[in-house]
Amino acid sequence: MRKRMKRSSKNVFPLKIDELEQLMKSEFDKSPDLSFSKYEHQNKKIAVFFIPYQVQPDRVENLLLTPLLESKEEWSNTAILNKIPLNSGKEYQQMDEILPGLIAGKVMIYIEDEAAVVSYDFLNKEKRSLEGAETESVVIGPKIAFTESLVTNLNVIRWNIRTPDLAIEEITIGKRAPREVRLIYLKSLANDTDVDTMRQRLNELDVDNVEDSNVLMQYIEDDSASIFPQFHTTELPDRTSYAILKGKIAVLMENSPSALIAPSTFFSFFESTEDLYMRWNSGSPLRFIRFMSMFISVVLTPMYVAAVTFHYEIIPTQLLISIGQSRAGVPFPPVFEALFLELMIELLREAGARLPTKVGQTIGIVGGVVVGTAAVQAGITSNILIIFITISALASFTAPSYQMGTSIRLLRFPMIVLAGILGLIGIMFGLCMLIIHLLKMTSLGRPYLSPIYPIRFEDLNKALYRLPQNFQYKRFISLSLKDSIRFSKRNAKEKKDIDE
Amino acid sequence: MEINVKIKPNMRIQAFYLFFIIVSMQIGVGILGVPRLVFSEAKQDSWISILVAAAYVIIVLLAMLLILKQYDNADIHGIHRDIFGKWLGKIFSTVYILYFAIAFYSVLLTYIEVVKVFVFPDVSNFVMGLLLISLTIYGVLGGLRVIIGVSFVFGVLANWILFLLIHPALQIDFNHYLPLFQAPFVDLLKGARATSYTFMGFEILFLVYPFIQNKNKVRISSLLAVTWSSLLVLSATMLAIGFFSAEQLERREWAVLVLFKTQSFPFVERFDYIVVAELMMVVVPSLLFLMWGLTYSMKRVYKVKQKLTLYVAAIIFLIGTFFFEKHFETQRVINFAEQFGFWFIYVYPFVLLPLVLLKKRLKKRKGAGSS
Repeated sequence: MRKRMKRSSKNVFPLKIDELEQLMKSEFDKSPDLSFSKYEHQNKKIAVFFIPYQVQPDRVENLLLTPLLESKEEWSNTAILNKIPLNSGKEYQQMDEILPGLIAGKVMIYIEDEAAVVSYDFLNKEKRSLEGAETESVVIGPKIAFTESLVTNLNVIRWNIRTPDLAIEEITIGKRAPREVRLIYLKSLANDTDVDTMRQRLNELDVDNVEDSNVLMQYIEDDSASIFPQFHTTELPDRTSYAILKGKIAVLMENSPSALIAPSTFFSFFESTEDLYMRWNSGSPLRFIRFMSMFISVVLTPMYVAAVTFHYEIIPTQLLISIGQSRAGVPFPPVFEALFLELMIELLREAGARLPTKVGQTIGIVGGVVVGTAAVQAGITSNILIIFITISALASFTAPSYQMGTSIRLLRFPMIVLAGILGLIGIMFGLCMLIIHLLKMTSLGRPYLSPIYPIRFEDLNKALYRLPQNFQYKRFISLSLKDSIRFSKRNAKEKKDIDE
Repeated sequence: MEINVKIKPNMRIQAFYLFFIIVSMQIGVGILGVPRLVFSEAKQDSWISILVAAAYVIIVLLAMLLILKQYDNADIHGIHRDIFGKWLGKIFSTVYILYFAIAFYSVLLTYIEVVKVFVFPDVSNFVMGLLLISLTIYGVLGGLRVIIGVSFVFGVLANWILFLLIHPALQIDFNHYLPLFQAPFVDLLKGARATSYTFMGFEILFLVYPFIQNKNKVRISSLLAVTWSSLLVLSATMLAIGFFSAEQLERREWAVLVLFKTQSFPFVERFDYIVVAELMMVVVPSLLFLMWGLTYSMKRVYKVKQKLTLYVAAIIFLIGTFFFEKHFETQRVINFAEQFGFWFIYVYPFVLLPLVLLKKRLKKRKGAGSS
């Protein structure tokens, strides 16, 4: 391998067409896909070689081969570059530039005895068209989602943010199978240190390949031991450009339908773009409901387990009677009962995610309704616990970020076990641990729990709730952006006296 | 060891957080038991005792601030070094470290005791100690910024339990406060003395002062903190005295906790259980600061790595929880901490202050003479 690398970095040109053919054949000996055709034109031998399925054949035919062969004059490298003015025309001299070029859909032309190969880009990348978002569905607002094609995604972002201020830096990641990654931010807004940190983390990444931007996130995040995602991955271009315009940094990756947004805070995972499109007084309660449901999802079932196992005194008598009746025939301690049901919900979710949509719905009904009812009638679980488990499962699905929702759902299991061992004290221990953990976390070096700690009162109205637009004349102060004023406060509405 | 501490710019904190630091140190388990202690000395005039105590605390605080102001950016260990020299200074600093250890231990044991009395009579000290100490280790490993964050977030989150006191507050019998001004002056002072364990904690200012960025806000922030904790203690005591009759109150060790029992909702009763759990959020910041004070002081005075002190101290405390299972044993630790803290926190600053001022004057005179 090393020997070959050495040889290919050497300049082998000029050489005869037959020698080139031998060379190319030996490079592509295990994949017989290279099309290598030789022509004679005005007594000069010309070779054209490319990988057929990586290029668009009719464009190659019309734009390249036809003018090349029909012309009457004698060809040289400069002549080709001048006469065929496609913008991607380039000269290559080294083998380790030519080989990746062929794979990336370039068509190479070599005229015998010239010192370089001329190449044109005719990349034909198969891609699906833009579709609506699947995992992060929204009710109002733009619905298109990213695709696997980087060019399409960049096109969408550029079209959303129509300013030359938008910086799109190119970085290549992966040694064995390189992938293109783009670092996107607003030059006049994004914090330089953050951009540098991100660029450095991407550049210093020393891995052989990265599968997806979700994997990329795991490589470059601050604390890989934490259960919480530290960067936001989203499939909504809308959301990505909103974050970029707020001064954050986005990372897009070739062949990955999700963008990575950094730095993210804990609260930004509960923020949906829908909150913006709703009016402030209906958007704020919706966001509040999401925070509530996160809390409920972590605490409700453990509270039930703690109360029924240890502290039945905290349940008022009326309620205790109905809980007691419901639990009378259940032979297991509440912890096992709760863990069993939680596991069942997780099974349903996992099965639903794997199966085709139509079958998935059936499984949901069979699993949820039939098994649930049967389990209660068989005396394995109590009705009331099923209600609690369902509420907390529903609550965990309200998080707009799927990654965050999963983290929260998984947190329930240790909490239930703690509640089963030490009751309320155990739950409180879990919560304290959780909050301390959140306080310790950072995203791109910035506190994860910002703007709560360190507290920034001006930011609370964007992170936790929303006020009318004319109160939001400042950007996030905690991001320390270059320009933190969105618009002048004076332009906001003036106060008026009563209209007579 | 340098007298003045150089703090990295990213470690500086705003004086705003000082409020939460001091309140979270002062308000701990102590507030639960304080009404009985004061009441047994000053009877219905307890409020005067508490006001006297609060005024005294404020005077001590002002003295501390005056001491700190004489230096550029020094903490207590630097001041000890400056005033008493290398060896004597080390001894005084060691006493400080011992104080942190004992205070940590007393807070730990008191919370375990409360849990045993109100929630789990049979829980072993070891399990509870393990929970609290693992929280402490995890928090202290995050460094001062995280600890302050904990005190701030927990300090805000734990306040909801105050609303549960509205219900008992509506059932107060105002006759319990009458007749006014019956207690003799000595009893009032004794009552004030009884609050000393509760009010302890503002001495952390001696350690965190160098970390504060805007020094001009330190005074207002710390004064507000002390005032707020005094108000909490005062209202807790007034509530307990108003709610319970004299002999009821004298028989209840944690009268404030019992108050929570009266509140009930259609879906939850017996809030004392929940409050005892919630108290963990009140206790953990104190534990974190005391442990941090211990490790940081060890680093300042003896140049021991903070991690080493943290792990060793944690193991020692954990083993220590075995030996104080009984109530009277816990009480002995608390009494010892109270005695120790009383002289060290409430009296010692007044010894230090004239020395610091004298030293400064001498230095100034020397500087003037030489130039």
